[in-house]
Amino acid sequence: MLRSRTFQIVVPALLVMALLPLGVGGYILGLLTLAYYYAVFAMSWDLLFGFAGEVNFGPSFLIGVGAYTAALLNHYWMWPIPACLVAGAIAAVIGGAVLAVPALRLTGPYFGLVTLVAVLLLQNMLVLFAGITGGEIGLDLPDVLSIDDSTNYYYALAFMTVSGGILFGLSRSPVGLILQASGQDAIEAAALGFNVAKHKMAAFCISAFFSGLAGAMLIFYLGTASVGTVVDIAVGVNVIIAAVLGGRRTIIGAAVGAIFLIGAGEILRPLGQLSTFVVSAVALVVILFFPSGFMGRLLQSGGRE
Amino acid sequence: MTALLEVSGLTKRFGGLVAVKDIGFSINAGEILGLIGPNGSGKSTVMKCIMGIEKPNAGSVKLDGTDVAGWPTHRIARHGVGIVFQHARPLHRQTILEHIQLALLPDNLFMLVTDHKITRRAEEIAERVGLGQVMHRLPRTLPFADLRRLELAKAIARNPKVVLVDEPFAGLTAGEVADFSALIGSFRAEGHAVLLVDHNVKGVAALVDRVLAMYLGEKITEATAEEVMRNETVRRVYLGGKIETAARPDREGKGHTPLLDVRGLGVLYGKATALDDVSIHVGEGEFVSVVGLNGAGKTTLFNAISGLVPFSGTVAWRGETLAGKTPGAIARGGIVQCPESRELFGDMSIRENLDLGGQHLTVAEAGKQLDWLFGLFPILKSRQGQAARTLSGGEQQMLAIARALMMKPKLLILDEPTLGLAPVILEQLSKALEVLRQTTDITVLLGEQNVTFALPHADRVYVIEHSRIVWEGDPGRFAEEAGAGYL
Amino acid sequence: MLALQILIDGFAISSLYALGATGFTLIFGVSGVLNLSHGAIMVVAAVIAWWVAGTFGAGPYLGALAGVAASLACAFFTYRVIVRPIQNSPSIPREEKEIFVLTGTLLWGIMLQEAIAYLFTNNPKTVRPLVEGVVMIAGVRTPWNEVLTAVLSWAAIGLLYLLVNRTRTGKSLLAASMNPRGLTLLGFELSNIYVLVWAIYGVLAGIAGVLLGAFLGVSSDNAGVLTASAFSIVVLGGLGSVPGSLFAAYVVGYLETMTAYLISPSIRTVPVLLLLVAVVYVRPQGLLGRR
Repeated sequence: MLRSRTFQIVVPALLVMALLPLGVGGYILGLLTLAYYYAVFAMSWDLLFGFAGEVNFGPSFLIGVGAYTAALLNHYWMWPIPACLVAGAIAAVIGGAVLAVPALRLTGPYFGLVTLVAVLLLQNMLVLFAGITGGEIGLDLPDVLSIDDSTNYYYALAFMTVSGGILFGLSRSPVGLILQASGQDAIEAAALGFNVAKHKMAAFCISAFFSGLAGAMLIFYLGTASVGTVVDIAVGVNVIIAAVLGGRRTIIGAAVGAIFLIGAGEILRPLGQLSTFVVSAVALVVILFFPSGFMGRLLQSGGRE
Repeated sequence: MTALLEVSGLTKRFGGLVAVKDIGFSINAGEILGLIGPNGSGKSTVMKCIMGIEKPNAGSVKLDGTDVAGWPTHRIARHGVGIVFQHARPLHRQTILEHIQLALLPDNLFMLVTDHKITRRAEEIAERVGLGQVMHRLPRTLPFADLRRLELAKAIARNPKVVLVDEPFAGLTAGEVADFSALIGSFRAEGHAVLLVDHNVKGVAALVDRVLAMYLGEKITEATAEEVMRNETVRRVYLGGKIETAARPDREGKGHTPLLDVRGLGVLYGKATALDDVSIHVGEGEFVSVVGLNGAGKTTLFNAISGLVPFSGTVAWRGETLAGKTPGAIARGGIVQCPESRELFGDMSIRENLDLGGQHLTVAEAGKQLDWLFGLFPILKSRQGQAARTLSGGEQQMLAIARALMMKPKLLILDEPTLGLAPVILEQLSKALEVLRQTTDITVLLGEQNVTFALPHADRVYVIEHSRIVWEGDPGRFAEEAGAGYL
Repeated sequence: MLALQILIDGFAISSLYALGATGFTLIFGVSGVLNLSHGAIMVVAAVIAWWVAGTFGAGPYLGALAGVAASLACAFFTYRVIVRPIQNSPSIPREEKEIFVLTGTLLWGIMLQEAIAYLFTNNPKTVRPLVEGVVMIAGVRTPWNEVLTAVLSWAAIGLLYLLVNRTRTGKSLLAASMNPRGLTLLGFELSNIYVLVWAIYGVLAGIAGVLLGAFLGVSSDNAGVLTASAFSIVVLGGLGSVPGSLFAAYVVGYLETMTAYLISPSIRTVPVLLLLVAVVYVRPQGLLGRR
């Protein structure tokens, strides 16, 4: 394992990330904190797409369900943060299972549509019941993870590392192999003796768990839960772009893509409105000329991986 | 001794179409049965029903005494059936060994680490099928034959009672076939029951103990390979009946001007060999038939000529190479193909389909051509407003040919026009072709499995078998020289 | 009175939806592409029309023309620079081409949206209507502009119908949506057909955009919603079915208008979404689509 390319890239990067707070200001730490949560969103998405072959156009549905469940429990019933996190994750898993049911029956663009519609519905419901949910303005949370930038940073980094480790490990495990086979050709996988439906359902639930948990942690970092930060289609779009940019089916690539997107968006902030334009343009160029994404490219030249 | 696989009364319907009707057979341990039939015979459906990919409407599939009909595929697989699909695709980032390990994994959600026992067993299996040297390589670095071995390895990994193999030799070169044959033969020696599904009795004759021939969903006969090849009904179904040749009108200078010259043509689908060093030529005014069973390579040959698939070798039209031309340009240049799948515009009427064929003619020319074609195929005229999708098989075929003729082709390529048509329609088609030959200078290249249809009109015949041309000559000599071994 | 208002307003907005959806469906049916920059292209047309007519000072007619020209240019760019390279790329496996095209057009749409916002701000713009004034229809005061919207939308759809069903070129487009291989075998160059289809799409989207700009006004923020609504209509009606899109456009248009008038404007889209979910579960091929 020590010789594997992924290891060679990831470990030094993690070391650098761990040492950053010693030399870098609160603003950048805050940005990276956000990026790390997005990284978990993107990695969960890649597990589902890259491995189970299911294109989820509305990852912010799962993120939003997790985030708002936690937010509501905290705001109205004063549940402590850990309990809210757990509840959020469980709610997201249930959401994932609900989304999985049509997935196993619909093919092609139709499944993608269901996921898209799920997000739009959630968004509309949240805005409709703004009295309870705070609508577009958002719901203030009495508790936060921490007030200190460094502490928040480390929470996020640790969370990303652990989640990433689990998701990556899963992707490399026998279970990941079965998922990949199921995603590529369900009939062949069944002919090898695997209950494809069961495995895909599991993939949905795992993806949902991490997305929902990350969403819940994100809102406790921000201190508010609002539609714009966790449910909006734009959130989902960023997640998908991050995963595709970073390289499908690498898990780590999705994290790289997310950090790049958030980072690039920030570096280009002086450009004002043009920053989104430039980031999108760069992403487009990458997609057209390097379809295997950042990590895909890096790993390909290694051959074995 | 109970048969390992016992199928009885198997029936499968798709809507109104009966794909499989009351099929029954049994295979004991250490036996290989060949399930043979042309396209549309139902053999693939039988295989899918055994594997649970389709649920039979009636009948039983007994695996060592247990009826598994209607079970989900993964359960049947775990109960002891392994299958080698024709078009299996390996995963890109896993080694050969990892693929075999996959086949050995239990259906477990929580397996996070690979068992050492599984790895060792996978290595044994790799050795067994001849992949011992390459087991740590990625699929994309290996030749096609090795990828097929991988599929076999996956199928036998858990030591199933029954092994199903779909088109065992498709895509392999003649040399590779022998090795593969030996490998499958060794499964028999180990006591598995093996079912081979194929188009071609001759290809599997040496390997199988018995053959079951199917046609249109029903069993024609079950016997040894030699007996089946000699069977009257089987020969009629495949060859179309007695081989007769009719007098051909002699024309001055026919065949002297070379039109189409194909040399050393090779086509690969991914890594599978579809055509191997094929050379044919067609002269002006000639009617050339290429006969061969489904899967031999006729369609691939025509698609290469029409520019639809990449190829190696040369294809020259009127002296100039066709390489680099788009299929549209090749069609406009005079080579018009009427493919096996007909490719009609289903929701458009007969008239609209024909009009599209005449797009490159002036309105006046198109009108004349249309009148001529309506004369040739009167039924198209009477139904010209009808949507193509609603026509019968024979009418669709006539429309496809007429549409191709609207383009005033120099060379008309017809791919399996008789597929799935009733004898009465074949008569009409045959007559139409005869009229074409008598009244025009058209050059025709016909690809057919049905020899009875293909021979009477032909000036010359090629026989194509498993990606290669194996015979060329006069239709008169075909019966004596190539006819016997054709099946 | 209210019923008449709903009837008229619903008709106008549905006609506009129909025009936009028809273009969207045409591209899907013939080119196989779900163009996620659709809304952005419409916005470009509207904003350019507004700018040329007003700030640039050339008047409403030249403005409309400029708007359509702009969307035509965007459509070409979308096809040549984004869609075609992805479809022909050997390094993207066939199963994934669709998601790459989707992501690519999505990014392009975002780029267009941001460019417009940067150049013209994201304040809503209203294109000067081609005809001013109001008319009384059965006792309801209706701006001429609204009537024109419906009339022009249907004129465009009608012209398209004539093109596709009565001309040789149009028939080849129809054939391409049914069977591209069949067309190739008949000597057609598919690349020419695709260029033509995207050109027609550019014009349709441009007209729809300019009309929308004149009727309701647009801002760069609307781009996403416009794409989403075209998408929903096309799915509802059946992917690839033009009659289906027309029918669904009216269902959606009226459902939205009724919801806005009778319940509340802020949840206009909810009944449509619920309908969409129901359709995707019960009849995924759409109301008029074929499996």
